[in-house]
Amino acid sequence: MLILSRKSGESIVIDGRIHLKIVRVEGDVVKVGIEAPSDVPVHRQEVYDEIQRNNKQALTTQKAPLPRIPLAKIKSPAAAAAPAAPSKSL
Amino acid sequence: MKCMNTIETEAPAQTLTCEVRLPMGILGFEQMKHYLLIANPEEAPFRWLQVKDNPSLAFVVIDPFLVVPDYHPDIPQSDVEFLGLDKPEEAALLNIVTLHGSNRATINLKGPVVVNRNTGVGKQVILANAAEYSVQHPLPLS
Repeated sequence: MLILSRKSGESIVIDGRIHLKIVRVEGDVVKVGIEAPSDVPVHRQEVYDEIQRNNKQALTTQKAPLPRIPLAKIKSPAAAAAPAAPSKSL
Repeated sequence: MKCMNTIETEAPAQTLTCEVRLPMGILGFEQMKHYLLIANPEEAPFRWLQVKDNPSLAFVVIDPFLVVPDYHPDIPQSDVEFLGLDKPEEAALLNIVTLHGSNRATINLKGPVVVNRNTGVGKQVILANAAEYSVQHPLPLS
């Protein structure tokens, strides 16, 4: 891993198009400003970890009986109209 | 997308099975890329996203709009391009359901599996507006 020392207000450029700027350092909190093109997804590491953890919990190793959902009660007219028709093809 | 109907001898309901390819896998299961999406009308609105070469491994998935009518997933442009989506209607959303015992189930609204209906290629996407949603949003069970 490349480790760089930066002061508040200084930046790092990645691939000529992603700019990371140390905006402020307050105690143990570092505020980082990120400028990246719209095709570069930027997420906190925790989001990846959270989804990955949830996937591991969700994976079933045997076909458990599935619960029932009272769809009629919660289905709004908007939801019924929008995705219902095309989802039949999948 | 390649799909086929099968009529099981014991159950009269028709099961629809479609092939889904996830070139990046599912987060945490990057090595598993080929899946079958199995829709048994008796289990609706749930469907199974089953690992193609290991039928004992599967995720329970659901169309999120059926249970969260005001869901507005913001799919990053890079993922739209990766999936080759030209129109929103081409995308099918399969959100992973976690079963917590027999009386509690949750849906992952942060990271839906988005599939191009035309190609059968999909990806588990981290929404640009993931912060607005939970990975374990409770499902109302009857």
